[in-house]
Amino acid sequence: MRDTSCKTGYRRIKLSALSILLIVLPLLGGCGAEKKETPPAPAVQPVILEYWTPFSGGDNIFMTRLVEQFNKEHQDIRIDQINSRLDDYYSRLRTAILSGNAPDLAVIHATNLPQFVQNGYIESLDGLAADTGLDWGQFSTKIAESTVYGGAHYAVPLDTHTLVLYYNKKYLRAAGLLDAADKPVIGRGEQGFTAFLQKLKQSVPPGVAPLALPSTRIDSVWLWWSLYNQIEGGGVFYNPDGTQAVFNNKASLQALEFVNSLYQRELIPPGINDAFKLFYDGEAAVLITGVWGTGAFEKAEKLELGVVPVPVIYDHPAVWGDSHTLAIPAQSEMSTEKRKAAMAFARWAVEHGVMWAEAGHVPSSRKVVESRAYSALKFRSDYANTANSVVYWPRNMKQWSINEEIIRQFERMIYKEQSPAQALQQAVDSINLQLKK
Amino acid sequence: MRLKSFRGWFRNLALARKLILINVVFIVLPLGLMGYFAFARFTETTERKVGDYQLQTLKQLTLNIDTYMNELNRLTVMPYQYPKVTDYLATKRAPGEPLTLDEISGLNSFVTQVFLNGRVDILGVSLYGTGGASYVVMPESQYVTTYKLDENVSWLNKFKGHYGQPVYVATHDLRSSGGNVYQAFSIVRELRSFDDGATLGYIVIDVDPKFIREILSKVTLDPQELLYITDDSGNLVTGKDHGIPQGVADGSSGRTGEGVSHVKSGGEGLLVAHVTSEVTGWTTVGVVPVSGLMKDTEVLRTYLILIGVICVGLALLLYVFIAYRITQPLRKLSRLMRSVERGDLSQAFPVSGTDEVGLLGHSFNGMIAKLSELGYLLYETEIREKDAQIAALQSKINPHFLYNTLGSISMYAELEGSPEIITMSNNLSKLLRYSLSGRKEHVTLQDELDHVGGYMAIQQMRYEERIQFTMNIEPSLLDCEVIPLMIQPLVENAINHALDQGVGRGVITLTAGSSNQVLTITVEDDGIGMNAEALEALRLHLRNTEELGGRSGNGLLNVHRRIVLHYGEEYGLSLESMPYQGFKAVLTLPVIHHQGIAREDDGVA
Repeated sequence: MRDTSCKTGYRRIKLSALSILLIVLPLLGGCGAEKKETPPAPAVQPVILEYWTPFSGGDNIFMTRLVEQFNKEHQDIRIDQINSRLDDYYSRLRTAILSGNAPDLAVIHATNLPQFVQNGYIESLDGLAADTGLDWGQFSTKIAESTVYGGAHYAVPLDTHTLVLYYNKKYLRAAGLLDAADKPVIGRGEQGFTAFLQKLKQSVPPGVAPLALPSTRIDSVWLWWSLYNQIEGGGVFYNPDGTQAVFNNKASLQALEFVNSLYQRELIPPGINDAFKLFYDGEAAVLITGVWGTGAFEKAEKLELGVVPVPVIYDHPAVWGDSHTLAIPAQSEMSTEKRKAAMAFARWAVEHGVMWAEAGHVPSSRKVVESRAYSALKFRSDYANTANSVVYWPRNMKQWSINEEIIRQFERMIYKEQSPAQALQQAVDSINLQLKK
Repeated sequence: MRLKSFRGWFRNLALARKLILINVVFIVLPLGLMGYFAFARFTETTERKVGDYQLQTLKQLTLNIDTYMNELNRLTVMPYQYPKVTDYLATKRAPGEPLTLDEISGLNSFVTQVFLNGRVDILGVSLYGTGGASYVVMPESQYVTTYKLDENVSWLNKFKGHYGQPVYVATHDLRSSGGNVYQAFSIVRELRSFDDGATLGYIVIDVDPKFIREILSKVTLDPQELLYITDDSGNLVTGKDHGIPQGVADGSSGRTGEGVSHVKSGGEGLLVAHVTSEVTGWTTVGVVPVSGLMKDTEVLRTYLILIGVICVGLALLLYVFIAYRITQPLRKLSRLMRSVERGDLSQAFPVSGTDEVGLLGHSFNGMIAKLSELGYLLYETEIREKDAQIAALQSKINPHFLYNTLGSISMYAELEGSPEIITMSNNLSKLLRYSLSGRKEHVTLQDELDHVGGYMAIQQMRYEERIQFTMNIEPSLLDCEVIPLMIQPLVENAINHALDQGVGRGVITLTAGSSNQVLTITVEDDGIGMNAEALEALRLHLRNTEELGGRSGNGLLNVHRRIVLHYGEEYGLSLESMPYQGFKAVLTLPVIHHQGIAREDDGVA
């Protein structure tokens, strides 16, 4: 009997040992299973591009939307937009390129391309365009040519922007200056335009500007350049070999004197700083500024908006214009991935030109201009043709600072410190001094 | 009482179990306690270390932000280097009054310098003069001169007693005329004239909090962390995540300096570290769920428990094995001892070493050897004694004298013509000769039957017709070896049972048969038999009495013991009887055919 009890004791212990094993084994198993659980693969790190823009009209919000939309559609790319004032933008961009902190992608005005093409500050894009399937043929000839230097494309044009004439229908209607199609009735020549403004001035309430144009900055220079180019034989800036400025001529003076007369007769009230805001707030009847205002103005409540091209005051249509282009500043350590991503964005932005056109710009791609979506946009088609009569600034590496010199002289003229002839002469003299350096 | 019963229980526990129990108490308990204390200490240390680490990280973070803020702060001092700006701020102006070309260029170049000297994240620069002059540059728009300083703006009264220190304003919305809304924090400085100490105006620089957010985003305390910066009244400057738990937000406005605290929020423990910057007065707060921090400790705990359970389990298994292995020889020994107790002295303990158990086994074997030796000696002595008794008997009555006397009686009877006497004396002579025929160990069944036949011839003469004796023997068994004088006592017993105590006739049957190599010799009578009790008593007597050779009435026992001694326990005499239905004695022996064919003649020479 004792014997068997011992044996059952053994068995009992064997059983309990087995049960311990049974408890431990699943734990071990559980442990193993836990390890097998691979952590979810981290989302692909997107290529991050720093993207600099100089938008200070009403158009930045549209660029922001464009970038947001792009980021949403491209999980592998993230565009970080940094917007600066146009006033400081190029100074900042130049410093950044020289100090090796250049952004991966930047908007550069076509006028400004020469200073960045020199010394290879921005990259030639032909190879990249071929790689990413960007077709240069989709752009209108004029705008495509504006990006070609030495046979190579250096930037992807986003748009054409020109001066247009915005008007508040409320004031024009009150002055009886609207035709049946709600277009302004403007007489021919200098007299016609002056009379139009005179009539407006008599009609608008006090404090409302007949024509709004800032007293400072480049706006008056744009108007002068447009009008100077309308004159037969006008529009000459440099001598043929580009060594001297020669715009102190009769046609130029005629155009400038007409511009100046608008200020002196106070058809453009003195001391206007922010003409854009003035018109936006319904405190101006007419505004001559770039197409970039359309998107903002059409949303303004106090404004009954109308847009027409800048009237032909002289011999033929001509209007100042420029292009926003996308360029890749040269960086020593920029990866192919980043370049491709930058190009992908450029291509996408061109193809989605309608989004950008909502700001007011004329899209660079012919296909977009001809698209149903674009023609469905109000106002834009009213001035889409001005892209054909656009006059860029001449190509010169120093054109931006040369323009700043003209601005300075014109500001002094507007503030009655000198005559139009003096202003032209002063500008030409000081520009020639710059060109000699 | 319970302790006592436990002690009793423990004392009676098998040795192996005692060992296992002690082992469990002395291994599992200390191990468990050690593990528990080690883990508790580790947890505590980890929590403190994590708190310290968090605080250090926040300090570093705050230092980085302070450096950046100092850099921005330098920009607010710039108006002092631009007399045109301070002059402009000092002028008395109606709102919207146009600026001169000179003022415009002066202010514009100043603002441009601020933008260019600053970083790309400067959104706006505003100058406010106490005399109504203003120059405000907001994102996406031209400068504006019509802004008037809002008298109710919160930072305005903070400059009292500030001695030229700037004020940092928490993040707020900045609305551009283009429609975009920017997030910006601001640095505000009071500008004063050196000559008369009067306040000239204020400069406000609006900055995108992007850079601070970037610094924050580079800090990782934990995947579930919450990192944000608030100003002294609890307004958010920027945060990695905007959902601030209630419990944390409540206490945030009162926090200054630096420290780590525990907060309960929504049932979850949070470790909150905060550092207040001396430059900006902003408080950087890092919130980490304690559970997140303790993830590692939980893993450790799991492993500790797992490894502990495995180790203890293995140790227990091993110990159980060892305990049983050690006590196994002891148990075997005790088993052997019990069989020795029952009289089996053929056991031996397999000694496999010279340890205590080996020695014990050795002594046990020695003891057994001694015991069997003693037993044998006793047996021999007994036999010698018997021999002596017989020799004495034989010497008392000289058998030859008896034989010769009986021969003479037979001769006289023949002369007298009395055949009964002749038969009786001849048979008696044969009986005597067989009984006293020296020391023969074995005889054949035939010899034994002849003897019984002679005996019965005499008895039948005595009882005449009252006895009927029949023999029924398998002829093949006649040469089987049997023990001499084995059957006669049974027959004698049967005659006693069948006749002496009853009147009338008796039938005695002697049968011999074999099956399975067992020779069975049965003697039956038809006498009065025995009741169950008497029979059982007799059987018990047969089984248990080992004393050999009783005087009288012990004939059956004698026969039984001799067979057992000779052939082993499985053979012997068994009895069956029922009252008034006779008595049956059955002898069982092994079937052993006699080797020497020639029957030894029992010559009494």
